[in-house]
Amino acid sequence: MSNESETINPLDPFDTMNTMRDASLKTWIAMRDAGLDSWSKMMIDMVNSDDYSQATGQWLDTYLTLSQPFKRMIDTMMTQVLTGLNMPMRTDVTGLAERLTNIETRLDDQDAKLDDILKAIKAVSKSNPVADTSAKAKGAR
Amino acid sequence: MSVSPSPMNPTALQDELKRIEENTRTLLRVSTSRATVAQTPKQVIWTLNKAKLYRYIPIVPAEQRHKVPLFLVFALMNKPYILDLRPGNSFIEYMVKQGYDVYLLDWGAPGPEDKELKFDDYVLDYLPRAIRKVKAVSGSDEFTMLGWCIGAILATIYAALRPGDGLKNLILLTAPLDFTDKKAGGFVRWVNDQAFDPDKIVAAFGNVPGELIDYGAKALKPVENYIGSYLTLWDNLNNPRIVESWHAMNTWVTDLIPMAGATYLQLIKELYRENRLIQGTMVIRGERVDLSRIHANLLNVIALTDHISPPCQSESIMTKVSSKDQFLLKVKGGHIGMMAGSGALKYTWPHIDSWLAARSE
Repeated sequence: MSNESETINPLDPFDTMNTMRDASLKTWIAMRDAGLDSWSKMMIDMVNSDDYSQATGQWLDTYLTLSQPFKRMIDTMMTQVLTGLNMPMRTDVTGLAERLTNIETRLDDQDAKLDDILKAIKAVSKSNPVADTSAKAKGAR
Repeated sequence: MSVSPSPMNPTALQDELKRIEENTRTLLRVSTSRATVAQTPKQVIWTLNKAKLYRYIPIVPAEQRHKVPLFLVFALMNKPYILDLRPGNSFIEYMVKQGYDVYLLDWGAPGPEDKELKFDDYVLDYLPRAIRKVKAVSGSDEFTMLGWCIGAILATIYAALRPGDGLKNLILLTAPLDFTDKKAGGFVRWVNDQAFDPDKIVAAFGNVPGELIDYGAKALKPVENYIGSYLTLWDNLNNPRIVESWHAMNTWVTDLIPMAGATYLQLIKELYRENRLIQGTMVIRGERVDLSRIHANLLNVIALTDHISPPCQSESIMTKVSSKDQFLLKVKGGHIGMMAGSGALKYTWPHIDSWLAARSE
C-alpha cells in the first residue's frame, strides 16, 4: 500500500479516487472491528447474566415440554409399523449392540489374562534358562 | 483484508473480477467441504464398543525415545483429532518428533445403546483396559496421562482411584474441576438456574445431541463464534495459510458427537451443581474419589482467557493433591486455542515437552 501511495499522481483523478477509496475502506474496517468488539463485550455480558440463564432455561423447558407429546406419538406409531412389518425395533438393535459390547469386554478380559500368562512364562524362562532350552527342544521334536 | 488497486482500467477490472471469483470459490470450498485432518501415521491397537486406542508410529529410534509412554485422553464431546489437526499444527506430530511413544484414546460417538454410560464406566471399565494395552505395547509399567477438558476430569478421577497403577505423570489441560464459584462463566450460571432441567433433556434425547452442547459453547461468545470467525476468514481469503488453518478448525468445530445421557447428568448434577469432585464427596462405583491420593507428578495447564473452563475451575486442585512435584502453567489463549491455535507451537507445546522430558526417563 505504501508503494502505491508513493506513486500517486495528484493530477490523475483516478489515482486520487483510488487513494480515497482505500483510505475509506481502511477506516470502514477499523470501525467495523471496533463495533464488533463492543458488540461482543455487550453480548458476553448478556449471556453471563442471570436473566439470560433464566430465559434460556425456560425456553429449553418449554421446547421440551411441547415437543415430547409429538415425539411419543411418532415413537408409538413407528413401533406399531415395525411390529406390523415384522421388523426389528430400536430396542432390539440396541439390545444386540449391548450384547456385542459385553462379548467384547469378555474378549478383552481373556486378552488380559493371556498377556499375564505370557508375561509369567517369560519371567519363568528368564529365571530358568535350562528349562526353557529343554522345553524348546521338546517342542522341536 | 487486502485492498486491491481500483479497477479503473480494463486489465485492472479483469484482475479484480478474477480475484473476487477466486475468493468466492475459496469461501465456498472451505465452508462446504471437510479438510483433511489427523494425518500423523497411526495404528489401532485396541477397541472396545465405540472406543479406539491409537498408537502413533514412532519416528525416533527406540534407544533415543523417552521410556515412559504418553497416553492422551480427550473430552467426551468433540473428536480428539484436534490434537492432530493438520501437519505443522499437530500436538501429536510434535510429541512424536520429540521422541515420545504417543497413544490416543478416541471415545467414539455413543449410540442410543450407550445412554446409560457414566463416568464410572469410562473411568473403571474403559481407561484401565486402554492403559493395560498401552503398557503391554510400550513394554513400560509406567505411563504419562494427559487429559484435556472433560478428559482431564476422567484422568483426575482415575489418578485418585488407581494411584498405584503406574501413573508417573499427570498432565491436566483446561480441567473443569472446581465449581465453587457459581458465577464463573456462562456454563456454571446456566446449569445452576432452577429452570434448567437436565433430567428433562436426557429424557427427551437419551444422549445429549452434539448440536445442543455446541450451541452452549458457541453462545458463550456469540459474536466471535457466529460472526467474527467468518469475518476473519473473509479478511484473509488471500492468505492460503490462514484459509487452510480456518478450514481445518471449522472441520473440527462442526464435527459434533453426542454425550451419553447418564454422563451428562453426572456432569451437571454432581460436578457443576454439587461440586463433589473437589469437595471429595464424589463416589464412583462405591469408591470415594479422594484427590489427596494423587501422588503422580502433576502439570496443570490453564488458559488465561478460557471462557469454557475459567482458570478458577482448574487452579485449586494444586492444593488438593499429594504430588510433591507439581507445576501450574498459565498460558495465553482460550480453551482450544491454547493447544491448537497459532501460538501453541511456540508457547504451550514446548513447555509441556520440557516438563515431561525430564520426567519420562
